Amino acid sequence: MFMANQTQIGTAPAAELTGEQKIQQLRELFADATEVGKTALENVIKELSSQVSEPPPPIESAGRVGARLGKRSELTIIVPLVPGGAARLRTFLQLLGGNLSPGATKVGTLHDMRFVFFDNDTRLLFATSFDGDWDTYIDDFIALIPDYLDLMDSAWEGWPGIRDPGAKDYLIKHQITAEGWFVAEPDLTLAEIQRLKRIGKATDEFLDKVQ
Amino acid sequence: MLDLHEIQATVLRPRPAPYFGTHVLLRIDDAQSGRELFRRLTPHIDSADSWWRAVNPWLSVGISYAGLKALGVPDNSLQSFPEAFREGMAARARQLGDVGINDPKNWDAAYGKGEVHIGVQAFSDSEEDRRRILGIAREQINGLSVSILAMQDFGAQPGDLNSLGYKDGIDQPAIEGSGVDPLPGQGEPIKAGEFILGYPGESGFPLPMPQPEILGRNGTYVGFRKYQSRVGAFNRFLQTHGNTEAERELLAAKLVGRWRSGAPLVLAPDVDDPTLGADPQRNNDFNYANDLRGRHAPFGCHIRRMNPRDTKLTRLTDVKLHRLIRRGTTYGPPYDPNALSEADDEVPRGAYFLFISAKAMSTIEFLQQEWINDGNFIGIGDERDPIIGLQEEGATFTIPKDPVRRLVRGIETFNVLRGGEYFFMPSISALKWLADSQR
Repeated sequence: MFMANQTQIGTAPAAELTGEQKIQQLRELFADATEVGKTALENVIKELSSQVSEPPPPIESAGRVGARLGKRSELTIIVPLVPGGAARLRTFLQLLGGNLSPGATKVGTLHDMRFVFFDNDTRLLFATSFDGDWDTYIDDFIALIPDYLDLMDSAWEGWPGIRDPGAKDYLIKHQITAEGWFVAEPDLTLAEIQRLKRIGKATDEFLDKVQ
Repeated sequence: MLDLHEIQATVLRPRPAPYFGTHVLLRIDDAQSGRELFRRLTPHIDSADSWWRAVNPWLSVGISYAGLKALGVPDNSLQSFPEAFREGMAARARQLGDVGINDPKNWDAAYGKGEVHIGVQAFSDSEEDRRRILGIAREQINGLSVSILAMQDFGAQPGDLNSLGYKDGIDQPAIEGSGVDPLPGQGEPIKAGEFILGYPGESGFPLPMPQPEILGRNGTYVGFRKYQSRVGAFNRFLQTHGNTEAERELLAAKLVGRWRSGAPLVLAPDVDDPTLGADPQRNNDFNYANDLRGRHAPFGCHIRRMNPRDTKLTRLTDVKLHRLIRRGTTYGPPYDPNALSEADDEVPRGAYFLFISAKAMSTIEFLQQEWINDGNFIGIGDERDPIIGLQEEGATFTIPKDPVRRLVRGIETFNVLRGGEYFFMPSISALKWLADSQR
């Protein structure tokens, strides 16, 4: 049975180890891996040794659950679905050709969202990344798009409804923090990306005019 | 209609003009004395009954979480208060962005230590009446184990201008059922439950209320924040970026979105219009439909941030959910346009704000994070509120303009936070309950 809990891998918290110790720990864990795995590990270690000794800024916590990089947060939720829930949700998603663009664009902070059904439609993986914290604007979501949220989440087992004071706890209970994550431009919010696009366009127009 | 006779006057009654007043911060040194103080004080606390009529002077009172504990309020009742209120403003510094020079460790001695238990506010339209009502408040303390931690007179004469020289307090949210028609431009009335506990809010439901009901109903929360105005830094900034008096005044107006007279830039884009500024029927009667590009009121100016009205925001936002009733109370010597030195930054003058809402803690945190110390919500990147924002090194202020925008550098933190506390402002019945809270 799947448990939506954080799983701790390894013996000691990674942050307390030096780069060299982390590599040693990795070699120990790979000792009974396949030959393919062992060879790959050695090749990768050669390539990554400089990065391990001088690692990039680690991902931070985005509040109680979830990871954060710069201005971006990630949210991964795995929930059991109510009987018939997958069919309802899938049909709703297909109504839009699977593209959530019109509604999701309105939110203004969502960079991506995905809905993945698995285990014979009994469970759902919902993954998204967005600017800032999701709960900052929860009252605004409740006021402005409650039906979209309830339509999608009513397929989730035990969903109390977005207006219920327990909705936030429900989401946190089913959320799993990503262990690894990559964002190419963690400091660019969606609003900034759109502003830069406008500036780029205006610059082109200006350059065309001065030619 | 609201139970106006139950709600404290300060929640709905605006500052008089002119205004004179005093803030008193108290510590309860034993529970018996604390309850006795509430017993004595309650008959002198004005309700909001007929709040629109000018009745002067009046007293109001708020109690902090530490105060409720010191009073011996039962634990199940204490636990029914929201988490941020229980933790207190200083403990929420991270969520409030109160860091750097605004960090609680730099606050005045009275604040942030759990010692401020009670805040009493005296409001009046004359100095004489202020003294009289304050005298009444002080008499109630006689013989009780209650310590005065701080006493601060406020008022801004002449002209009720704030410590940076602006007319303030103009744009307040309109509250449904409060008994008065909104002023032009005040917008659609907002559901009373957003500001007073026990009534439906914008979601259609009342917010969770402290228990028992008699304690929570008709009460509200107050975010109390003391700011020190760095008048020298503000004037130096204007001098650096404006060559003439007219240029400096236009820049000062661009920072706020209103001229010092209160006239909004949207209605008076090029020159001040003091008659407009002084007219409550006209000085708030505008939206941003004719200023979509911020040519008049820059997107980052103070009033466009604090109430974006119909401005298109980058994030899905219901602007009605993030409003506060403000009671700004200016203290210290009046604004001096010739104050330019660093010593002038430390002259004690500024404002104590009462930010009032049924969810004041979360609204203040939202405003601090999103609308004050960020610009992303309105499409201007990292820029912060030029008046009350905490500025970082290299901060800028963008003034949209034709043919190209003007980027003003050298914005500093012009108002520094020197203290803050959360208070619960109970109903008249709740005050009586508190006087009798040992049960």
